[in-house]
Amino acid sequence: MQAQTRGRQNAWLNKVPEVALSFWIIKILSTTVGETGADFLAVDVGWGQGITCTVMFGLLAAALSAQLRTRRYTPWLYWLTVVLISIVGTQITDLLTDGLKVSLYLSTAMFALALATIFFVWHRVENTLSIRDIVTRRRELFYWSAVLCTFALGTAAGDLATEALGLGFAWGAAGFGLLIGLSYAVWRACGHAVATFWLAYILTRPFGAALGDLLTQARTYGGMGMGAMWTSALFLTVIVLLVAAAQLRTGTGLSSRTPD
Amino acid sequence: MHLKFAKTFPLATVSVALLLAMTAGCSKPADRAAKAAGTAPAHAATGSGVGTRLGDLTPFRTIAGDVATLVDKGDLAQARTRIKDLEIAWDEAEAGLKPRDAADWHTLDEAIDKALAALRADPPKQADCKAAMAYLLQIFDALRTKA
Repeated sequence: MQAQTRGRQNAWLNKVPEVALSFWIIKILSTTVGETGADFLAVDVGWGQGITCTVMFGLLAAALSAQLRTRRYTPWLYWLTVVLISIVGTQITDLLTDGLKVSLYLSTAMFALALATIFFVWHRVENTLSIRDIVTRRRELFYWSAVLCTFALGTAAGDLATEALGLGFAWGAAGFGLLIGLSYAVWRACGHAVATFWLAYILTRPFGAALGDLLTQARTYGGMGMGAMWTSALFLTVIVLLVAAAQLRTGTGLSSRTPD
Repeated sequence: MHLKFAKTFPLATVSVALLLAMTAGCSKPADRAAKAAGTAPAHAATGSGVGTRLGDLTPFRTIAGDVATLVDKGDLAQARTRIKDLEIAWDEAEAGLKPRDAADWHTLDEAIDKALAALRADPPKQADCKAAMAYLLQIFDALRTKA
């Protein structure tokens, strides 16, 4: 694996970040920030869902094509792409649920099946699902397809939990947080790094949403009453700081992004 | 395969928890939306307003009443401005309200959407707006008797 990539002159370095603390924090926070931003444009600014969806899709297309064209992990671009994919993934599910009246049971099952299919094909074609070795365009396309699917699936599953179980954001944050902890525990105990990683990744979508709601919602509803604006400002600050730190590390070559 | 999140994930959870703790004392602008005020003599909410499966919908009912009054007066432009307050307040409270009763939430959400569509039509028609608002107020009442 390694010899191949080092041998080629224009070899890519791993295009995606290492899975460390900052990875999970940014991932969780970026869910909320993206959604709040899109919601703000659709409702408060008054663009409506149609225009907001179109704009977000356009921005995603631009960010993703830029991301695909780079040769190495570029933190700001990678995370911008993640935020936009988060928004678009959510919008796809919302379109199915609200626009086409598709049942959340069905959409959750559908996206789970779609994700399984993506992994199956990815593994068949590449013989590895390692995310430390995203060094070709083809692998990267598999990666981003999976990411988009996890956001759609995470949205559907989270909404389903809300509607079918009456799961509020406080219990939701606790519940999804616990499940994430469990996948971590399973990994530590039994391995299955790829499966537990993606499972945790899917779960961070409803977890991030519940966490955001916990901060945003009025105290009347059991939230902390921070409101969307302050919550977004806080989350965005943390994201920018962490991404800037990652960008600096990338620049000085201190972080190891090559597969070992 | 060793992913670094093994060593750092517990820290991640602790960090997020600390983040939450720090923000616990922050101001609560969201409460203002939940307490949106207004007076609407013609279509005022009767009764305590509490006692729906979604909890106390008085703030939303009040705005809807305001809008209905404005529509009756023929001031569709003003009604359209006022219903935006309902849209924003309702949207902000979604995460808090929906878990209480998803079916009721959707019923009211659709009624609000119909009213929004009627008032945002180009040009808005008095008859349509009046019907949409009557329907919306009817839904509010229906939810109360249902609980």
